[in-house]
Amino acid sequence: MNSGRNGVRLRPRGQAQMSQTREGFSARRRFSSRSSVLAMTLLALAGCSAIKAPVPKDPDALAEYQQANDPYEPLNRKVYNMTMTVDKWALRPVAKAYIWAVPRTVRNSLGNMITTMNEPSVFFNDVGAGKPRRAGDAFVRWCINMSVGVGGLIDVAKMAGYPHHDNDAGLTLANWGVPSGPYLFLPMGPSSLRDGIGYGIDQGLSPWNYVPRGYGLISFNWAYNMLGVVHGRSEHIDELDALQRDALDPYATIRSAYQQQRQAQAQAIKNDNRATVPAWYH
Amino acid sequence: MKIFSSRRLVTGALALICAGSLSILPAHAASGTRQFIENFGNKLVAIVNSPIPLQEKKSRVLPLIQQDVDIDAIGRYCLGRYWKLATPAQQKQYLALFHEVLVNAITDKLGDYRGVSFTIGAISKSGEDDSVEAVLMRPQQPPATMQWIVGYASGSPKVVDVIGEGASLRLTQRQDYSSYIARNGGNVEALLNALKRQIAHHTAAATGNN
Repeated sequence: MNSGRNGVRLRPRGQAQMSQTREGFSARRRFSSRSSVLAMTLLALAGCSAIKAPVPKDPDALAEYQQANDPYEPLNRKVYNMTMTVDKWALRPVAKAYIWAVPRTVRNSLGNMITTMNEPSVFFNDVGAGKPRRAGDAFVRWCINMSVGVGGLIDVAKMAGYPHHDNDAGLTLANWGVPSGPYLFLPMGPSSLRDGIGYGIDQGLSPWNYVPRGYGLISFNWAYNMLGVVHGRSEHIDELDALQRDALDPYATIRSAYQQQRQAQAQAIKNDNRATVPAWYH
Repeated sequence: MKIFSSRRLVTGALALICAGSLSILPAHAASGTRQFIENFGNKLVAIVNSPIPLQEKKSRVLPLIQQDVDIDAIGRYCLGRYWKLATPAQQKQYLALFHEVLVNAITDKLGDYRGVSFTIGAISKSGEDDSVEAVLMRPQQPPATMQWIVGYASGSPKVVDVIGEGASLRLTQRQDYSSYIARNGGNVEALLNALKRQIAHHTAAATGNN
């Protein structure tokens, strides 16, 4: 608005215009605000048509559309393309360098540490899902690995018969019967409305996001998170390379594999009805 | 009257035999499935672990795959709703191309592993097919749990799908293909061309490496 006013003042127009009352300005302002509302509406409409895929009429095509569960496909594909470009030029080279520079044994230890440090979040989710045995496993893993396992670098718990299991808030919500909602491709990877919300909850469940300032803990936390991203990417270099080479539509392949895997993971948690009392007690 | 009763006896006996064989059938099929996967797995693992050159491994695996994997059925499944829309000529061409792509995909994996072993777990029903749980052990890698889906549609047991980490390979492939066709104007010909390109790339890469 300011520039607009200045612009009017700078223009060599006649006195008549200069002596125009405030009414003129407010009318112009009203017009401009009205046109901006119109422009916004048009943009939103155009945006909607660009982010929402048209629903097919043909029954077979409709069944396929419903199975894919991806109404925001156009938008998701844009995010996917952007993410893959960033991955190609930044994350993948870094992960490759990490593999090149760090020996496998060290990488395995770092991987153990990352897994162990995520154990509190797994524990809370196991509790949330009402699976005491799994929660116990996560708790024991945390205690053993953080102490005997030297801060998680050595997976002693696994040797003691407590292998790692995954859990996150998206899966907990799934166990509560929350439907996945539409598929979403987020900058951090494939997701869904439910799993995206779960991701946010997990951030809240991780104690590392509550470290106090000072003692270098914040820097440690940053390093830990960045290492987690790079390490995670380095674990999937070959798979993702093969997928992008072999799939005709990598986006659809990732979508399909992700949806099936999440469903299987949720089912596995649901089916895990092991007794809380350990076998040796009987 | 006598004839009637004897006829009734015969039909009764027949019914009994049918019912008996029906009740035996699932158990029989399950043990047959286990035997089949055990044989197939053992042969496959023997080839993978043997110290022969990769090229020979590939040529030895080929007849095994052709005999024990129902490639045609997998191919039809992967084309999904477009199978009905394709012309008979396209179907034929597609199956031929699919054969080659699938065999390439399997034989490409052969070089990656060594010192492999596997164990067979529970067998359950998966729709009309049998699902066999197997754990694949590779050195220096976490054990991979997978399900082999065995179908009897062709008369003899054949592998129709593999489920790894919860994802069915044929379903994932179907969604890949159908999405590709849908984005290319619903034209099956586009898929055939893409498969041809894939095979051409594969041969180029293979001859380039040798």
